[in-house]
Amino acid sequence: MKLELLFSGIGGQGVMLLGETLCAAAIRAGKKVTFSPFYGQEKRGGRTMCNIVVSDEMESPIISEAKVMLFMDERSLQDYEYMMAEDGVMILNSDTIDIEPTVKCAKVDRVPIYTMAQELGNAKTMNMVALGYVLKYLPEIDYNLVIEEVEKAFARKAKLIPLNVKAVETGYAAAQKAE
Amino acid sequence: MSKEAVFMQGNQAMAEAAIRGGCKMFFGYPITPSSEVPEYYARVMVERPEENITYIQAETECSAFNMIAGAAAAGHRSMTATAGPGFSLGQEAMSYMSAAGLPGVVVQIMRPGPADGEILPAQGDYFQITRGGGHGDYYTLALAPWSIQELVEIMQESFVLAEKYNNPVVVVSDAMLAKLRESVVLPDYTDNEAAPEEKHNTLTGAKGRKRHLITTCGFGAVQWNQFNNDLQKKYAEIAANEKRYESYFMDEDPDIVVVAFGAYSRVCLSGVKMAREAGLKVGMIRPISLWPFPDNAFEGLDGKQFLVCELNAGQMVQDVKLSVKNKDDVHFFGMLGGIVPTPKEICAEIQKVEVK
Repeated sequence: MKLELLFSGIGGQGVMLLGETLCAAAIRAGKKVTFSPFYGQEKRGGRTMCNIVVSDEMESPIISEAKVMLFMDERSLQDYEYMMAEDGVMILNSDTIDIEPTVKCAKVDRVPIYTMAQELGNAKTMNMVALGYVLKYLPEIDYNLVIEEVEKAFARKAKLIPLNVKAVETGYAAAQKAE
Repeated sequence: MSKEAVFMQGNQAMAEAAIRGGCKMFFGYPITPSSEVPEYYARVMVERPEENITYIQAETECSAFNMIAGAAAAGHRSMTATAGPGFSLGQEAMSYMSAAGLPGVVVQIMRPGPADGEILPAQGDYFQITRGGGHGDYYTLALAPWSIQELVEIMQESFVLAEKYNNPVVVVSDAMLAKLRESVVLPDYTDNEAAPEEKHNTLTGAKGRKRHLITTCGFGAVQWNQFNNDLQKKYAEIAANEKRYESYFMDEDPDIVVVAFGAYSRVCLSGVKMAREAGLKVGMIRPISLWPFPDNAFEGLDGKQFLVCELNAGQMVQDVKLSVKNKDDVHFFGMLGGIVPTPKEICAEIQKVEVK
């Protein structure tokens, strides 16, 4: 099997941590995983994007097209939508994206990721909400392993673990309810 | 080998491998995309005192490279990691170390130049790395891994090679391999380092033995001619022993041979596989040693078309042309500025090559 993913947003939204956590869980599921981050020189506010490849053999860490894409803002969508696979799924943060994708794909999910995070009491958890949602399209990656990796990712700030686990649960539950 | 694979960043895995390979001294100056290496050493120095790490953030790369020369002269393994701008500043020390017979390891994490440039993946420092980037007639052994697994193995071996040949070794990385995270099985601690006084050319005090001097000063043309001829014997020995490459689908008599190195060659190999699925007869050669260049990989390949893919304006392509009979059979696809073509784009370039 080979799964190619692309996540993108604005620096500070946690797209990198989302990707890294997902990869750590996929490795524990026995897969070969590469995570290639792309970001500018800015600490916050710049573009962030990552290519993720989950496969059985070693592959190129740079992808040609993505089966699952997640966009947190309009600029990211405009920049990277051309890499969408025609049979793939695009997940858009509907709180900040009003425009329509201009490329063909099998499905577009509009998810109020920011609102959901805010309702949890902390907008910064939007990356974890998104992580939970994305899992809907990655049945190869076990939900419980992801939760364990989220706990590890926040090990140095242990008091944030329950909130972030809750955020993953929220995103995951929303995805199960969605069509 | 500890069996379990961990998910680790290229720079961090490399630093851990170096520490386990007996390199307890790191001298450097932070520069993207290399900064996680000094950061890792600094952290280990504080958090794992049993490792006995010496970490110094120098005031400039000039100093960091000279500190490596100093550590080597005292008989200790040391390294630095830097990007192109810092590598340029270190060239005086590299030239000195090669002439003085001092081992030491430098990791060159390439980013797009010239000058300050960008912080993205690139391979534009190939000439500087493979031609002896400083002054004088010298070379440094340069090894370019394509995965984090190969990177950690080469990292440890490079100290052994530096001490074997008494010459600096360059581990060639780039912003892609540095920032990439993937599964890697970290190598174990090694036990392959001689005591300082048993190493070649070290200054450990002259008590009970003859005075010894490390110098690179010529005393006239005749003497300096001889000194250089001796140096050339060293490079000839490295060239004879250390040519390394891997080839893919080459036993299937391909019409087209892609040539690429480093992390980018993984992208190229995926492009080669796509082209093969489309029915083209394509193989690939991946030089692992950039100097000495593995010209032996091209023996018996007359009549084939070569497509050299690099993230620069065409540098290794010159070495490929020197390695084949008909230079017109060598084609080039380059990309500049930090853009990395996708496997699909590589495949499209392969499809453009006319098979004769």
